Amino acid sequence: MIRDMREKLLFPAWLGFLGLMLAAALVGAFFVFTRGLVVTNLTDLVPWGLWITIDLSAVALGAGAFLLSAAVYLLRIKQLEPVARTAVFIGFTGYTMACMTLLLDIGRPDRFWHSLVFWNIHSPLWEVTMCISFYLMVLTLEVLPIIGHHSFMQERFPWVAARLESVHSLAPVLAVVGLGLSLLHQSSLGATYGVLKARPIVYKEMMPILFIVSAIAAGPALTVLASKLAARLTPRAHVDDALLDKISHFIGWALLGYLYLRFWDTLAMNYTFEPGRTEGLLMLTSGSLAFTFWIGEILLGTVVPSVILLNKRLRRRPNLHILALVLVIGGLVAYRWNTNIVSQLVVFNMLPNELAPVYTSYRPSLVEIATGAGVISYGLLMFTLGVRYLNIVDHRKHGHAVQETTVSVDRAPVPVAGD
Amino acid sequence: MSENTDANVGTAEKQPLGIDRRNFLKLGVAGLTIAATPAVLKKTGGGNGHGAATSKHRWGMVIDQDKCVGCGHCTMACRAANDVSPDISWNRIIEDKETGTYLPIPCMHCEDAPCVNVCPVKATYHRPDGIVMMDYDRCIGCRYCEMACPTGSRSFNWEAFTEANPAVPQWGQPEVPRRPRGVVEKCSFCYQRIDRGLELGLTPGVDLAATPACVVACPTGARIFGDLNDPDSAVSRALAENPSYRLREDLGTEPRVHYLPRRKRQENEEVNCS
Repeated sequence: MIRDMREKLLFPAWLGFLGLMLAAALVGAFFVFTRGLVVTNLTDLVPWGLWITIDLSAVALGAGAFLLSAAVYLLRIKQLEPVARTAVFIGFTGYTMACMTLLLDIGRPDRFWHSLVFWNIHSPLWEVTMCISFYLMVLTLEVLPIIGHHSFMQERFPWVAARLESVHSLAPVLAVVGLGLSLLHQSSLGATYGVLKARPIVYKEMMPILFIVSAIAAGPALTVLASKLAARLTPRAHVDDALLDKISHFIGWALLGYLYLRFWDTLAMNYTFEPGRTEGLLMLTSGSLAFTFWIGEILLGTVVPSVILLNKRLRRRPNLHILALVLVIGGLVAYRWNTNIVSQLVVFNMLPNELAPVYTSYRPSLVEIATGAGVISYGLLMFTLGVRYLNIVDHRKHGHAVQETTVSVDRAPVPVAGD
Repeated sequence: MSENTDANVGTAEKQPLGIDRRNFLKLGVAGLTIAATPAVLKKTGGGNGHGAATSKHRWGMVIDQDKCVGCGHCTMACRAANDVSPDISWNRIIEDKETGTYLPIPCMHCEDAPCVNVCPVKATYHRPDGIVMMDYDRCIGCRYCEMACPTGSRSFNWEAFTEANPAVPQWGQPEVPRRPRGVVEKCSFCYQRIDRGLELGLTPGVDLAATPACVVACPTGARIFGDLNDPDSAVSRALAENPSYRLREDLGTEPRVHYLPRRKRQENEEVNCS
């Protein structure tokens, strides 16, 4: 009964909240598209701000899709298949979020297709754009069977549903292609910063490695977190705690690996002095970014969750487990934020022997925050509707996902979906 | 500023990439398909691949900090000739208050330009004569070039510049079209003056009508422009006869703007590297 009440009240309230956020974002986006980027607090000194952080984070948090698909179809850990289904849907949502943010961020959204036609193969950003476009296609193909599986499609358009479900037979191929594309662009997003001579603190070979390792830790974390939250909030979601526990254990190790790399990458910078880079390091370790670095990124974002996730007793306490996953995601966002912003706040010296550093500042404007929150709300809405209508969180062994491999589907109406 | 107005008459806007694209569009509507993309690559990749200089000219600038008094005439003439918004400077000037030295910073037109390397759509590219150009019709406004530029020489059009240009007519007349909102712009070495000058048989750097507006406007002669490939040009001679430096040479981007450091000293000032 209580669950019923909760469903009845919570769901409309939640949808109403998301609707409000989306409405605010639409107003913000209207200003962005009609008046231009002057409504942001971005400047020529800080041309990349909050939106890029959301964009980078959404892509990284979508990494669960390629990792779990690879685990199922390449490592042949078949039992993970239902979780991969959840991850693929989240990945699809994340990548569409990234595209929406990019559309806001570029000065000429009407020319978004230029990088697909006018190639500059020397640009990491070009490679990222191509990879993301192709990977979004892969994700779309991976999501089609989920839609085809819906009872509405199966009852009204059985032929279309069967076609959509038959795409699932491509899953192993898609997993390989997705793995390749993801390894490329998840790393290249780091290289996007890594090639910048004019930004000494990010001008290093470690950037692609740090970006992909942090994505490998945080992507699955979002998949597990979303599944666990859905299972708590609605009877429509069914999770296999043993499976999620295994993935969480893996996340713990990935976090340790990331922590090791980040430690040597960042804190070993003080071995040498380089104007601009040393100021950036100081800003991270004791300046205006010290809180997001030490607390957000290192302590809460990496150390605490890795302890929780690697310790079986701690990990099996549901609240602690969820807290750890939230912290991992927060840590990833903090890392992306710090990396992006620290490279810009220290203004590059014109002369190599110029020792007096020049600093600038950036605080996102209300429009940036509203539209950014709107993009996140869109992601939450997609997931909410996916759980409710597409049954994307169903990790039961005899769930529907297992049957998808056989194209001839049972037409039995799915009891949970549709009213 | 009569030189400016002279050069302005009948200035043809040269946009090499625009022609490429028109030709490409003639290939058919199928241009958007992936099958056609290699054709685009071939079309656009030829003349303006990064670093490939096939012209006999290699334009460069020398700025003499000994002569620069920080008056800003260069910036104003630039704003007029290139129709630049008052919010943007293609040529900003930094003042070192301690020594009273000025550092005017146009685009360095680097030989290995980071902006050209990172632009995802080749909207910024090298002309054969070394000028780093912008194709405003192609730029998507991602501002990656601003992240990459070591000298902060690039400006984004955060809003449309629709008002009358306050630098006109006092400092000259616009010679190029205004850029739309949402694209990045920067110093072009006044390519329009160079190209038109060459067509008329003039020598950029010698004949004022073929020389960048900032060089023409400088009242102290602190700016010298010319062909770095020509050993007899004013820039080559200035570099041969004087000690010079470039901004952030340590990065290896090979800027084509050179500076002659300040040599005059205040009486009580110790001799030291400036």
